[in-house]
Amino acid sequence: MRTGNYKESVGQIIALSDSKAAWAWTAVLIAALIVAPYLVGAYALTLMVSALIAVIGAVGLNILTGTTGLISLGQAGFLAVGAYTNAILLTDYHLPVWLSLPAAGVAGALVSIVVGIPSLRLKGLYLAITTLAFAFIINHIILYAERLTHGPNGVFVTGAKLFGFGLQRGPALYYLTLALAVAAIFAALNLLRTRIGRAWIAIRDHDIAARVMGIDLVRYKLLAFVVSSFIVAIAGALLSLQIRFVNIDVFALILSIEALAIIILGGLGSVAGAVLGAVFLSYLPEAIRLVLSTVIDPSSPLYTNYVYEIRGIANGLVIVLFLRFKPDGLIGFWRDARKYWSNWPLAY
Amino acid sequence: MDFLGLLISTGLVSGATYGLIAMGFALIYKSTGVVNFAQGELVMLTAYVSFSLANALGLSFFPLLAVTVPISMVIGLVLERLIIRPMLSEPVFSIVMATVGLAVILRGIVVLVWGSEPLNFPAGLPTGVVTVAGVPFYPAQLCLLGALALVTLCAWLFLRFTRLGMAMRAVAANETAALLMGVSVDRIHAAAWMLSAAIAAVAGVLFAINFKLAPDLWFQGLKSFPAVILGGLDSVIGASLAGLIIGVIENLAQGYLGEGLREIAGFVVIIVVLMVRPYGLFGSADIERV
Amino acid sequence: MKIATSVLTAALLSATAAWAGDPGVSDTEIKIGDVNIMTGPAAFVGRGVSLGSKIAAGEINAAGGINGRKIKILTEDDGYIPSRSFQALTKLLEEDGIFALNGTSGTANVLAMMPLITENNLPTLVTTAPSALIYNPVRPSVFTFGASYSDAFYAQLKYIHDHSEPKNPVYGIIRQDDDFGQEVEAGYERAVKEFGVKDGIRLRFKKGTSNFAAEMAQMKQAGVNVLANGGIFAGAANILSEARKLDMDIQSADVWSEGIPASAKLAAPAGYDYLVGDYVALTGPAVERFLAMAKQFTTPDELAGVSRYTFVTYVGLKSLAHAMQECGKELTRACTIDKLRHTKDLDTGGLSAPVSFDNPQQLAGTEVAVYQLNAKELKFRELVGFKKY
Repeated sequence: MRTGNYKESVGQIIALSDSKAAWAWTAVLIAALIVAPYLVGAYALTLMVSALIAVIGAVGLNILTGTTGLISLGQAGFLAVGAYTNAILLTDYHLPVWLSLPAAGVAGALVSIVVGIPSLRLKGLYLAITTLAFAFIINHIILYAERLTHGPNGVFVTGAKLFGFGLQRGPALYYLTLALAVAAIFAALNLLRTRIGRAWIAIRDHDIAARVMGIDLVRYKLLAFVVSSFIVAIAGALLSLQIRFVNIDVFALILSIEALAIIILGGLGSVAGAVLGAVFLSYLPEAIRLVLSTVIDPSSPLYTNYVYEIRGIANGLVIVLFLRFKPDGLIGFWRDARKYWSNWPLAY
Repeated sequence: MDFLGLLISTGLVSGATYGLIAMGFALIYKSTGVVNFAQGELVMLTAYVSFSLANALGLSFFPLLAVTVPISMVIGLVLERLIIRPMLSEPVFSIVMATVGLAVILRGIVVLVWGSEPLNFPAGLPTGVVTVAGVPFYPAQLCLLGALALVTLCAWLFLRFTRLGMAMRAVAANETAALLMGVSVDRIHAAAWMLSAAIAAVAGVLFAINFKLAPDLWFQGLKSFPAVILGGLDSVIGASLAGLIIGVIENLAQGYLGEGLREIAGFVVIIVVLMVRPYGLFGSADIERV
Repeated sequence: MKIATSVLTAALLSATAAWAGDPGVSDTEIKIGDVNIMTGPAAFVGRGVSLGSKIAAGEINAAGGINGRKIKILTEDDGYIPSRSFQALTKLLEEDGIFALNGTSGTANVLAMMPLITENNLPTLVTTAPSALIYNPVRPSVFTFGASYSDAFYAQLKYIHDHSEPKNPVYGIIRQDDDFGQEVEAGYERAVKEFGVKDGIRLRFKKGTSNFAAEMAQMKQAGVNVLANGGIFAGAANILSEARKLDMDIQSADVWSEGIPASAKLAAPAGYDYLVGDYVALTGPAVERFLAMAKQFTTPDELAGVSRYTFVTYVGLKSLAHAMQECGKELTRACTIDKLRHTKDLDTGGLSAPVSFDNPQQLAGTEVAVYQLNAKELKFRELVGFKKY
């Protein structure tokens, strides 16, 4: 008599999920997302687009930091490279958007090789600060290479069209971002179950041991940088499509730190965590705004004078409390729920 | 020679700020393994607290510092107990992110309490120009240089010769072994934060006197990162020296090459140095065993 | 399905408002949006700006509103970050349904919001960032009030050249490395070319710099004695403080940001009686009248925050209100824009030169007045009244 859960082929072992229920719910989620533009207002739609762009960026960063263990504070720089490449190609060279988006990704990947090579010997926080240094330098170069990047004047992004649909308004932009987000998530999940993904995880866990076992550190670390930056640069390009005007002010350093916060709040190392973290942090300011306007009377002088600072403090407070009480991140809630569900009334 | 002398002298002054802030970073990293991303905000907060004290009590410079430093130590202790201590068993990365959240909170609090206008903060120092070896200085700038020298000397003496300093070095070298040898790791962590906050107070007050007190002072924390890395994350004396080096290099780059290179000169330097010495000039290499 | 939804929404909207024409207009109120710097280090600028809208709205509402409708100001924060400006304006348009926009933060922020403004034909008054990038090319619904930095600096340098030029004049400029700095340099270039004086040195610095030691050392080396100071707030104060340390005898022409009391307090210790060029009044009977009027609509705390930034938005909202008033009961965006285009010689009570938008660039208030600070007494006095340059 056969009992238990047997996996009889490699395909079954590395399948993303062996549960039909999981696939069914995923289908429902995607269906809901596809129908969403017809059910929500325009402002909520722009929020969703921002959240999806954050998801793409987070998935990219997760490959570098969560999977390979290379802490990077230079995401603002890669976002800027992607956004500017897309903007310049669309506006100055009039390339169609289905060329400029991948080109933005390739530009990000090339820049990341330049960033990755000096970083190969570095570990931990030294690596983080080096990537921070590169973000500063990239911003500086963008500002001073005036003939190419219009320097401080910024670049207007218009004219992104696909099959005659303007891609920068409402639902069209939403579907583009949704498609790319789903593609990025599946790409990341798939990479994780190949030999490349296993090599990355080995590097994260103990890179000397990985080297001893024959994994070429240089090749895989650079590959991590390249893949991660490709995805992040595409996120930057989508950002430029959404806000329609790029300028280095948009890519302040704070973005890098926010990106890292997304990964850690979501749960370091898992793609699902990155997605959850991105959605959570994207909606946090709105949630705080809602809570504050119900708790404090909007017409009181306390509100009008101090509400902006209070919102900022609330943002930081949520992050700190979260990390204090749930250092596993948002994905920890899910894992706890799963464990509780399958083990109750036993503890383990 | 005149021009070069001016550049080097002012480079040393700005480098002194970097050095002081970097020492704060290094001290906390050395004892707890955490990079305190809220160090810049701590510098800013203590500077503003000092400003309020100066206005309320009308103190001149040295008494003001004598009052500010203990208060900032208390602030450091409170922050450590509230935020870091409960997270002791979590991965280092989470604690680092908690300091990022703390930084956001502190920034908001400063603007909430003191407003966002930039303020003048003479702190009782004379404002006339003095000349040393033919180079003009403000007394506040000389104070800054003096403070760096004094704090570096104190740090060296402390870490080398006092029991608490030796205990800190022990905790930095191997926390478990230190615990087994009877060192109260808990107290060392608190002490690290308190001392770091004290140094931050000195840095903050002197920076505000020299360059105005404004709610974007926290950015100096980020600008001091090259100094921290160049010196090695866990070398306190190294951080101080590296600060001076970075300050001078930045000024020379801006003076002779221009093009806004001052902003990125520090970062370029550390990228180059790290390629040769991956743990900074004076940092200790992490020996990993398989 | 989508068409059905929007028809349903339109029907619901028109059921709740008797006048369901353009958004933001109901029988009792008009919603005016304001996107501003309410958080971050530049927040005190944004607060001053928002005060202007608030005072103007208070004054207009106290006088009965615009054809019986009261003005309601809706403020959103953008923290000086362009992508947040875009989001803030999206929220104001989609959720709050504003009729017009008065209060637009910085240049990059306006440019980031421009696609939304043009798409919605939103009447917009740009008063805090009168950059050429905004009216070149001119956008149909955007009206700019203010002189360019270029004119402001030219005016000051001209005064120095005509009245107090040192014997061997060497001019120098230090400015930010962005579009604002470019405009400052344009004014400097014009002055230097016209006066035929020695152009000592031109320096750029990155926004946010506080340490100007290297730059001022270069200035001293070049022997500069007439300085075009393109720094703002603490930056400008630090530049002057470095100059004093190096014992430089200079006359300084500064950005209008140095005309607010906070900046004067910061820069005065350096002891230079610097000049400021501005398109609104810094001192004089007009300012006294304004403060007396504003007392009724602000708390004492807020009154202390009144500065030239308040005046510019006040003028902006008054111009907008004047145009809306002329449209009468049937208030639409198209009508407002049309009336704004025909605005000529609108009196602002002496706070600025009379406002006239009837030119192709829809630009007004380009007349600059020059003031000088008395560093010891922390008071400004007028040197030259409003004049076109």
